[in-house]
Amino acid sequence: MSTIDLAPERAVDTVVGPFDEEAFNVCGKGEPSLLRAKREQGFHVYKNLPAPTSFDEEWRRTNPRLFPFADFRAGGALPRIEPDDPGEHDEDFDVVVNVGNDGYSINDRTGAIRGGQVMVLPLAEASESCADLIEPYLNGQALPSDWDKFVALNDAFWNFGLFIYVPPGVELEKGIHLKYSMSGDGNALVPQVLIVLGEQSQASILESMSSPDDASCLSIATKEIYLQPAARLTFVTNQEWGRGACQIANDMAMVDSDAQIDWITLNFGTGVSKLKLGCDVCGSGACAELDGLFFCNEKQHIDQKTLQIHSAPHTYSRLLYKGAVQDEGHSVYQGVIQARPGAVKVDAYQTNNNLVLSNGAKADTIPGLLIDADDLKCSHGATIGNLDPDQVFYMRSRGLAEVDARRLLMRGFYDEVADRIPYAWVRDQVHRHVDARLGV
Amino acid sequence: MADIDTENKLVDNEYKYGFVSDVEMDEAPKGLNEDIIRFISEKKGEPEWMLEWRMKAYQWWLTKDEPRWALLDYPEIDYQDIRYYSAPKQMSERFKGEDGELDPEVKRAFEKLGIPVEEQERLQGVAVDAVFDSVSVATTHREVLEEHGIIFCSISEAMREHPDLVRKYLGSVVPYTDNFFASLNSAVFTDGSFAYIPPGVRCPVELSTYFRINAMDTGQFERTLIVADKGSYVSYLEGCTAPMRDTNQLHAAVVELIALDDAQIKYATIQNWYAGNAEGVGGIYNFVTKRGHCRGRNAKISWTQVEAGAAITWKYPSCILQGDGSTGEFYSVAVTNNRMQADTGTKMIHIGNNTKSTIVSKGISADQSKNTYRGMVQIMPTAENCRNYSICDSMLVGSECSANTVPYIEAENSSAIVEHEATTSRINEDQLFYIRSRGIDEESAINLVVNGFCKEVFKQLPMEFAVEATKLLEMKLEGSIG
Repeated sequence: MSTIDLAPERAVDTVVGPFDEEAFNVCGKGEPSLLRAKREQGFHVYKNLPAPTSFDEEWRRTNPRLFPFADFRAGGALPRIEPDDPGEHDEDFDVVVNVGNDGYSINDRTGAIRGGQVMVLPLAEASESCADLIEPYLNGQALPSDWDKFVALNDAFWNFGLFIYVPPGVELEKGIHLKYSMSGDGNALVPQVLIVLGEQSQASILESMSSPDDASCLSIATKEIYLQPAARLTFVTNQEWGRGACQIANDMAMVDSDAQIDWITLNFGTGVSKLKLGCDVCGSGACAELDGLFFCNEKQHIDQKTLQIHSAPHTYSRLLYKGAVQDEGHSVYQGVIQARPGAVKVDAYQTNNNLVLSNGAKADTIPGLLIDADDLKCSHGATIGNLDPDQVFYMRSRGLAEVDARRLLMRGFYDEVADRIPYAWVRDQVHRHVDARLGV
Repeated sequence: MADIDTENKLVDNEYKYGFVSDVEMDEAPKGLNEDIIRFISEKKGEPEWMLEWRMKAYQWWLTKDEPRWALLDYPEIDYQDIRYYSAPKQMSERFKGEDGELDPEVKRAFEKLGIPVEEQERLQGVAVDAVFDSVSVATTHREVLEEHGIIFCSISEAMREHPDLVRKYLGSVVPYTDNFFASLNSAVFTDGSFAYIPPGVRCPVELSTYFRINAMDTGQFERTLIVADKGSYVSYLEGCTAPMRDTNQLHAAVVELIALDDAQIKYATIQNWYAGNAEGVGGIYNFVTKRGHCRGRNAKISWTQVEAGAAITWKYPSCILQGDGSTGEFYSVAVTNNRMQADTGTKMIHIGNNTKSTIVSKGISADQSKNTYRGMVQIMPTAENCRNYSICDSMLVGSECSANTVPYIEAENSSAIVEHEATTSRINEDQLFYIRSRGIDEESAINLVVNGFCKEVFKQLPMEFAVEATKLLEMKLEGSIG
């Protein structure tokens, strides 16, 4: 990324980079009317929302100018291609979806799709072959009602759409791997993913992103997850975009009664990230466990906002986000616990721990409680500090070199979340990232 | 005013300070323009530089929009429909040089509030400056203070008697460009207190200002400036009340504290402005900018506030911890009931090395009220070994209220340790049950639990104030738990 002029300026522009009317007309040509209507509505909203500026509260700590939108091309829909040779760790999954510059492939490795245990298909196809199934989920009800510019942008310009459906009662054995990789300069990926788990079904999904550090690419993603009663989903996002990449993501899950989501997000990549992730536990007995790890070094900037929305009584949510900043890295964490009127007997907790490892690095944390009901228990805790010098001293007195002592402490810090990741090789990746940044 | 006693009896349970005093007033016409500012400045007999400063503030204010980011909902304020100056007539004549008597009606008003302004009836160990609408009407305990070289008077008087001190420090913590309400205050402030504690002096009595809004449609814009010179100590108390009226009145004050090397300032507020009735009609809009500056090494500034009144509260007493080793503290209890809305908290800006800050905030919301804690802790990149501890607890009483916590924490130094904890919950049923099982009725049980909840803050207050605060809380929560 070149140097960016951060002088604030009141923009009146509504067009973000290449995403203009012309580009819109190219998008989604010949799509089923159901999807076309959604696109058009998205574009209408997009057109009428001003592009965010650093004057907006939401963007105060992440200047939109950090994103060089103008350097990217808005592309048409990605074509479907035949699956490549199997990649590493593919054997851990039933279905592997590869999304790249040239197109996407869906590899039904164990025959789970053919056997009807799961549906994994492009949005366009789903809206024709199973319109009744998908229609109720096309209105974006999981997303916050105050439209976000980039949710609207995604709705209008998405170039990869995926629908995942696990039928009621099915326990998907190995799960799904959604693998995004980009390369080259100027590519923009705009994925829209819709995941629905039927009643009492169970699945795990891993989403991973990667690109070379020198490739300048952009991802503007929206993900909606709907868990029907008593469904259970483990979702892991392993974001390892290269340093030249920037991403904006809006992810939201609606968790119905007695359903549970375990959602782990790992953010070690990108130059600039602006992420919003939320859960609405909307049925009695619903439960959301949200965990996150992040690390910003060099000039990395990662801005994360989490929402724990309790719109029904007797709901539970717990959140733990841990991260470190180093060099000139800047992390922003903003967490909101919201109890809607009538949401009594709610138990919600939110923790954010930050390590500032060197001067010049910056960690902002804004944990928030917005409570409109009375009979509940909501709390949050946030800390910012460095590794405990007493603990480092203790280990050194046992003969460990300082760098090893710090590495072990860092591992301890991260493992509280990493231990919850169901894939051993992803845990190892977390360790590798942390070790590399500590210079081990 | 024959009805005053009956009126008092009627309102006794809700708001016992809601009476109106019939005092002949010297007033400025409604509205705000340069002439009004000149009028105020002339009334105060101010030096030329002060008028210039006010004018600059006014020009700045004109370019600013009212801040609306707080979680507060109130109608547009018409700044031209407010009277910016109102003083008891006999007082304003006194200011012209004749040594007139204090208006007996004003005196009665303060007596009713329990603030004896006559020297012989003074409170033990508390020096009081009483502000009635736009002017300071009396300052007690003068001789004791003079013995120690302490200056404690109204800010108008300070401007005439000690212009150098005022000029040096006024606006040095809250400049007129600070925010919308601070600019407005800078342009039109009418009175307030000024205190200067000379080096090495420990102020022997508590200093106190009592603010009273009486006149209709009047805004109160007071400005308090406290300077604690090297190695001095002062404890300052502030109380506020206003009559019950159907219309909203604006109160936009600025308080500036300056603590030099090793100095310590304790500032306590019991704010009990009229909060409007159960339907949310009337009440004071309280938009206050309070900031302390630990300018010297090892200085300490401690804010304690009990926010029990005002229809709208927008107030963030803050500390700029510039001197190495300085300490900032913020202890707050904010109680809202009926339809009150409070958005209050603090800012701790750590600039110096080894600076420490503590934030203890307790919010209680009842009925349909809205209570928000909003705070900021900032550790600058060059500030080594800074420490902050914050705890924000909210208690919910009733199902239609809301309690929000919005802390902002920013750290840019690797040696900083910042901890923040917040909880929101309903009043603890188990505790209530335990107390009730000992034969104590529900109302008292609730009071006990609430008192325990606020204890950490109340113990920071001087004894008389702590007692008053406890009573105030009991009164506020009476009947709100069903």
